[in-house]
Amino acid sequence: MSEAQQVIATLLSSQVRGELLVLFHRNSGLVDTVDGVARRIGRTGFAIENDVRDLVKLGVLKTKKIGSSEVILLDRARDREVLETVANHIKSVNRSEQN
Amino acid sequence: MTSPASRTRASEFEHQFIGRTREGARVKTGIAELDEMLRGGFMEGDAVLVAGSAGSGKTTLALQYLVNGIVKFGEPGIYLTFEQMPDQIYRDAKNFGWDLRKMEEENKFRLVCTSPDLLLESQGENLLDGVIDELHPRRIVIDSLSHLEMFVAKGDLRKEAYRLVSFRKTKGMSSLLIWEAGQMSGNSFSVTEVGLSFLVDCIVALKPVEIESAVRKALVILKMRGSDHDKQLRQFEITPAGIKIESAFSNYEGVMTGSPRRVGSEKFMEMFRGASEKHK
Repeated sequence: MSEAQQVIATLLSSQVRGELLVLFHRNSGLVDTVDGVARRIGRTGFAIENDVRDLVKLGVLKTKKIGSSEVILLDRARDREVLETVANHIKSVNRSEQN
Repeated sequence: MTSPASRTRASEFEHQFIGRTREGARVKTGIAELDEMLRGGFMEGDAVLVAGSAGSGKTTLALQYLVNGIVKFGEPGIYLTFEQMPDQIYRDAKNFGWDLRKMEEENKFRLVCTSPDLLLESQGENLLDGVIDELHPRRIVIDSLSHLEMFVAKGDLRKEAYRLVSFRKTKGMSSLLIWEAGQMSGNSFSVTEVGLSFLVDCIVALKPVEIESAVRKALVILKMRGSDHDKQLRQFEITPAGIKIESAFSNYEGVMTGSPRRVGSEKFMEMFRGASEKHK
């Protein structure tokens, strides 16, 4: 599986991951704890923690220590890279389908 | 001996890189009539409280202050909000023709959204240090102190607000703090009740007033430390291009009390006009 396919598979294989991406893209300056982020999409911290971890592993989200709390935020640079990877992959798929 | 030119350069260096404010310098809001009322703008580095009830125009004023800072004066800015869904701020700003997302891409603006308890835990620096390093902001809006109040023990708001204001002053940022004042009619004004007024350098109050069965918006500068300012209560409107300040409520008295009445001379003039109409 290519890097692009892995990225797409990670992004699309869970509804929560999709909701998190939409939230962070609409509010790119969001800085909050897992519980705080969960509240913003109407879920619990427990329900989103695995998906948060996967997005952190992918590099789209990053973590930071604020006092005694750990917060999550969008990694703008890595997010742009991921979006470009996905866009390029879609373009290449379209091209191969046209041929 | 240092020359005046080198002193100016040194002051500019301190302003840009150390965050020290320039003595007597003004931070223009970019709203011409308001800057005139402020005798040139807010004092640089000052903490300004914008107080008003829901729908009074606080967010619009704050956004316009930041956008004008970026567009007209080349001063980057941060909008720090505790709202649940801040994407509405982008949408509302766009309705006034202010493309905040584009300003973010150009590294001139950041909308930071967080929980008040995190801000209190971080004491500001840790939470915003990345943004401050990226942007070197000169202006910051905090929306709002009323949200912050819900997360601090009763009586601690003053202490926490003081910490926030002090932190921003040491960074050389001019801050605009929003306060949702529930009680803006009648004689009392709740900003003074929670004791914030002595912490801030300037208070701008926005207030809806009912005159002849129509609700109008009024703006008044209640306090401006170290500077003269316009004391009149001015009418303003929220237009498609933002806030537009108009004339003073010169024909009315008691506007701040919530029950304005026409001044005697105006009543007389109306009677006179009525009488002259009858004679035509």
